[in-house]
This record gives sequence, C-alpha cells and structure tokens, in this order.
Amino acid sequence: MTTAVAPLQQSSGSRSGTLYDVLELILDRGLVIDAFVRVSLVGIEILKIDVRVVVASVDTYLRFAEACNRLDLEAGPAKDPGVPELVGGLTENGARGKTKGALAGAAETISDAFKKGRDGLTSSSSGDDDEAEKEPTKSRRTTTSRRERESE
Amino acid sequence: MTTYVYGIAEADLPRLPGGLVGVGDPPRPVRVLRESGTAAVVSDCPEGLRPKRRDLFAHQRVLTAAAAAGAVLPLRFGSTAPDDDAVRGALARHAELYRGQLATVADRVEYNVKALHREDVLLRAILADSPEIRKLNEATRVEGGATYQDRLRLGQLVADALREHETRDSRTVEYALATHAEHHRRGPEGSGRVVNLSFLVGRDEAAGFLAALEELRAASPHLDVRVNGPLPPYSFVRTESVEAA
Repeated sequence: MTTAVAPLQQSSGSRSGTLYDVLELILDRGLVIDAFVRVSLVGIEILKIDVRVVVASVDTYLRFAEACNRLDLEAGPAKDPGVPELVGGLTENGARGKTKGALAGAAETISDAFKKGRDGLTSSSSGDDDEAEKEPTKSRRTTTSRRERESE
Repeated sequence: MTTYVYGIAEADLPRLPGGLVGVGDPPRPVRVLRESGTAAVVSDCPEGLRPKRRDLFAHQRVLTAAAAAGAVLPLRFGSTAPDDDAVRGALARHAELYRGQLATVADRVEYNVKALHREDVLLRAILADSPEIRKLNEATRVEGGATYQDRLRLGQLVADALREHETRDSRTVEYALATHAEHHRRGPEGSGRVVNLSFLVGRDEAAGFLAALEELRAASPHLDVRVNGPLPPYSFVRTESVEAA
C-alpha cells in the first residue's frame, strides 16, 4: 500500500541533540524479546528524577525567590533576552540555551542522561570521542535523582 | 557470529535503501532475514558492542529507514542473538504475534512531544496573578528589606504556583493533541520535562496533528514545546515478555 506521505525522518533538526531527545525511547521503549540477549548498558546511566520538575526544598525555594527578585518587571518579555544572566548563578553546569534557568535547571537533569559510568568503565573509554556519555555529567542539587538501569 | 537485531517487519515489506549500515566501527551492513511471513532487520554485531553515540544513532537510523519502507516493530537498543538461525527461530515461534502487532502500527508513526516552561514568561505570569507574591517580591528585592523567612516564603509560593502550572499544562497538551492521535502514552518517567508524551498518529493524520501542535505553541507562549518525529513506534509495541504471552 503506497500512500503519499512525508518520508520518515527526524523533523526537528538533525543536531546531535536530537538523539538525546529520543534517547529514552531508544533505551526504554521498544520490543524486548526474551530469546535475544541485550548488550550491557553499563557505562550509560539515565538519571531519573523522582519528583517532577519543581522540587520542594529550601534550596529550590531560595532559587525561585532569587529568580523572581531578578526579573526586570519593567521590561516586557520581548526585552528580556538575558535569561541566562538572570539565572546565571543558578545553573551550575552546562546551561544549554536561554530557556534554561532556575526552573529549567531543575528540569534538565535528564540532559545529564549520559553519565560516565563507574570509574573503571570511564577509564576504559580511552579517549574515544564517540562515547554517548559525553553530555554534562554533574547532577544538580535541586533535584533528587536516582540511578537506574545501571546494567540492564 | 552474533547477530544484532534492529526490528521486526512483514516479510515482504522492508525494501531498505542500498548501502544501509548499522552498528559497529566500521558500520556493519544491514540485511533482512525472512521467516514465517515475518522479517528481521539485522546486521552482524561487532565484538564488545557498547551504547556509544554512534551505535545509538545507527540503531535509530536503521529503524527509521525500515519504518519508511513499511510497518516495523522497533526492538530496544542492544538486542542480540547468537546467530541468524536463532533470529529465524524466534521469528518462527512468534510469527503470528508479531504480525498482529505489526498490524497495530502499520501506517502509523510516533511523535514524541516534550515541553518545558519558559521561566521568564511564567514567572511574570505568576507575579501578575498573585498580589501576595508581588508584595513579597518587592520586599525581598530590596537589600536588607526582608528576612530569610520572607525569601523562603516567596520561593515556596512560586514553587507551588509552578507545580499548578505543570499539572495544568500537562493536561492542556494532552487534550490538544490526543484527538489527533490513535493512542498516546506518557514518556518514560523521570524525563524531567513538564510534558513528555508520545502519540501514535496515522500517517494521514500527521498534518492535522502538527497543525494542532502549532496552535498549541501559539496559545502557550510560556511553553517551549519540542516535537520529535515521525519516529518508529517505539512506545507502541508491547513491552511485556513475548515468551510469556
């Protein structure tokens, strides 16, 4: 059956970031067949966030308070390209765009999806520039994270 | 030679692009094994395969090509069999099951939609909505004008408001798009996004789905909505054990 449809392809740009956007699907979804053996995913760890984006903690509250304090309320949204500065001190690591801030910073822990594995594994990567787990690696204080799928 | 399995398709369907290659360095050529009216899209599996960026991309690339050729059941990354015969054996044992599943995803694609809050827009809205938050914000932004408790209280109120928005926005996105999809499913837990939903959309419905997405974007300036797709139907294959079925 042939229907005229757009070819199946990534539509939202082919930045390598796209892989990260669908990574959880490649690793977490899809058919599992018992007769087949899955290669070890040791060396790749997905940080899971136990709670949703906003975490209830003193630390988080203070960050939000600061983010509000720093909002330039006189300026409209259009006049506010400086989000990274606005919350610059709040994102400890790897700000990836201007939508990222106190809020997104808490949310973006998944961008740390690839984490260097245990020390032994890391050392075995021997300069291979192609490791999936090259993304930012530090987890943030604002999120309660839990490691899963360490070796499935 | 270990065989790497990308996905399962109807025996007559995959007409894969010539020269399609898969996992490994150098990338191994992709081939198709046919058995009992089904087919497996496979390649040799390199020694010591690990989840490297290149190989994850390869898995995705092969499945995307296969799904463009026809219905395909994507396997989870890293599925291997001892050899080609073992793959054929697995196909033979469960051919009917696979064909049944293939029918449920034929002519359908997956779109994964994620959304984050645009915090500047949202924080402004929250301030505009609440006199108490505005007051606390004014008090706390002056040096020495407020106590630690005031700042904590401000942050807590903002956090509460944000949580309300999360719940609301998640529902809004779901309602706006679900009518254009056959099924939808929440993304794997812990993506950290306000919204992470996958939709199974008929190929004929894709335009309507994407139009609804654009409307949603226009109506929700506080949301940074990202869509990935069309994708192979990762989220819409059975994930429970096939052997146990």
